[in-house]
Amino acid sequence: MARPKVVSLTEAIGQINDGDMLTFGGFTVWRRPMAAIYELIRQKKRNLHLVEVNGGTHDDMLVGAGCVGIWESSWCGHELYGKFGSNLARRIEKGEILYEDWAHIHILNRLTAGAKGLPFLPTYSAMGCDMLNPENDNLGKAGLRNGSNPHIGKHKYMMYKEPFTDSEIVLVPAANPDWCITHVQMAGNEGTVRVEGLKFSDQEVIKASKHNIIITEQIVPEEYLRREPTRNMLPGYLVDYIVELPWGAHPTGLYGVHEPDGEFIADFFKATRTQEGFDQWAEEWIFGVKDFQEYLNKLGISRLESLRANPALGYSSTMKRGSR
Amino acid sequence: MESKKGYSKPGEFKPMDLLACAAAREVKDGEIVFAGTGLPMLAIMVAQHTQAPTAVCIYESGSIDGRPIDLPTSVADARCSYQAAVADGLTDVFGQLQSGKVDLAYLGGAEVDLYGNVNCTFMGGPTGKRLTGSGGNSDIHSLAKRSVLIMPQLGQKRRFVERVSYITSPGWKIPHWPDKEWVPKQQVYGPAFNGGPAAVISDMGVYRFDEQGEMYLDTVHPGFTPEECRENCSFELNIARCQGETLTPTYEELDLLYQVIDPEGIIMK
Repeated sequence: MARPKVVSLTEAIGQINDGDMLTFGGFTVWRRPMAAIYELIRQKKRNLHLVEVNGGTHDDMLVGAGCVGIWESSWCGHELYGKFGSNLARRIEKGEILYEDWAHIHILNRLTAGAKGLPFLPTYSAMGCDMLNPENDNLGKAGLRNGSNPHIGKHKYMMYKEPFTDSEIVLVPAANPDWCITHVQMAGNEGTVRVEGLKFSDQEVIKASKHNIIITEQIVPEEYLRREPTRNMLPGYLVDYIVELPWGAHPTGLYGVHEPDGEFIADFFKATRTQEGFDQWAEEWIFGVKDFQEYLNKLGISRLESLRANPALGYSSTMKRGSR
Repeated sequence: MESKKGYSKPGEFKPMDLLACAAAREVKDGEIVFAGTGLPMLAIMVAQHTQAPTAVCIYESGSIDGRPIDLPTSVADARCSYQAAVADGLTDVFGQLQSGKVDLAYLGGAEVDLYGNVNCTFMGGPTGKRLTGSGGNSDIHSLAKRSVLIMPQLGQKRRFVERVSYITSPGWKIPHWPDKEWVPKQQVYGPAFNGGPAAVISDMGVYRFDEQGEMYLDTVHPGFTPEECRENCSFELNIARCQGETLTPTYEELDLLYQVIDPEGIIMK
């Protein structure tokens, strides 16, 4: 379809099937599609295959809720708000999830290859490191590199003597997720997408994916975005569904709009030290509210207002952050 | 009144202050520096205010040469992009890293070994305690000309080991996959070899790497002895090359840390 459909969050997330490969726009605790994460959990998606340039609070939630069968990324944590992703760590330690570790460039190259229609891309990164140790090819050890799953390559990677200067280089296979979900500041009514602030790896992960859901703070008239096309990131034909949902990135941060809710993420991290703790947290903040509107009501206007960015700076100039 | 350039005396600074200032002194003017969250950010900012006014800081999320007026709390913080030359994304900055444009990188880790290999994925190997994983740690250590590791050490000798239990990031000697033979980094990286770990800065001393790529004590922080540094390592640390004590923070550097760079007390509490 050349133009995206504007739909509700429930409807958009309802298109995603158990077992699908997913990725997300954003970076660690910035500009993550959190409302969509809550809805994936509420709709009890299972056996998702996450392939992410880096993880964060969002993927640790999906893992804690039992939605994820395979996790492939370079990192999972909460920046300064929590040392590591406890749900992911616990499931890895107990052998309850399949995972593959990558360096940042490896996984970025996998999605970039996907975006360019190539089967692989080379990199020199992390040679000699344990993510390339054949003993740590976990999907291979699980017998999943037999060609039966189109999202899992025959090899985790290949060392290759390239023919131009005879150097040894790492080839990493393309990744083409079924879905990418991205939160942005603005989308036009015909689907043109504008992101303010850092783009991270959004263009790569969006273009690598078969289908895209864009969650936007605001839908604006196309004409407004087309006055300055150099500021835009995507044309509408790359987008399948648009959902208009202000504050949909909470508790992660959104450049020029609001800060990450560090206290909320730190509380989440504390709760997730045990599965029971996560379950109680999810009962309160995900299953205990009907939808994202009710979640926002529960947070309350003063909490949200305290996160609001100063438009001249792109971040809050009033939030208390340190000990002084 | 002490002169601003004078060195503070024991008792006038905290261990954290010395860590940040010792790290800051690794930057030379005009260098292109990759920094991670926390102390590395403080270190590059102190350097930019002192001996390295034209050094450029790149954050792996994509901001280049920002001039933050408020301390960022993560590499993707909106504060990193304030007055930046460019704020784009990962493909740009990791491409620059791979093409050899990064002179110096600051990183942390849970475990470091004799050769400067770093672990931030699993304490105790893949059956051990899970940590965050690499993020950009491995890429940056692989491809920067020099990397500086900032690590706690006192009372934590399990963090300074002969061989890390999982190699997240390469030091001077690494296995060649898939044959597992341990060889010098240059042999594995070939034309992509830009350098490797230059220093490890802990709360006890500053360590560097010799011609064989093995760690030795370069300077010991005031209040500690070289023998104590060795006792806080799980391997037989070479202390024969120790040059003496690490220079303490200057009054100017302390003022920068607490009054100019982190007046809110986010990291310098």
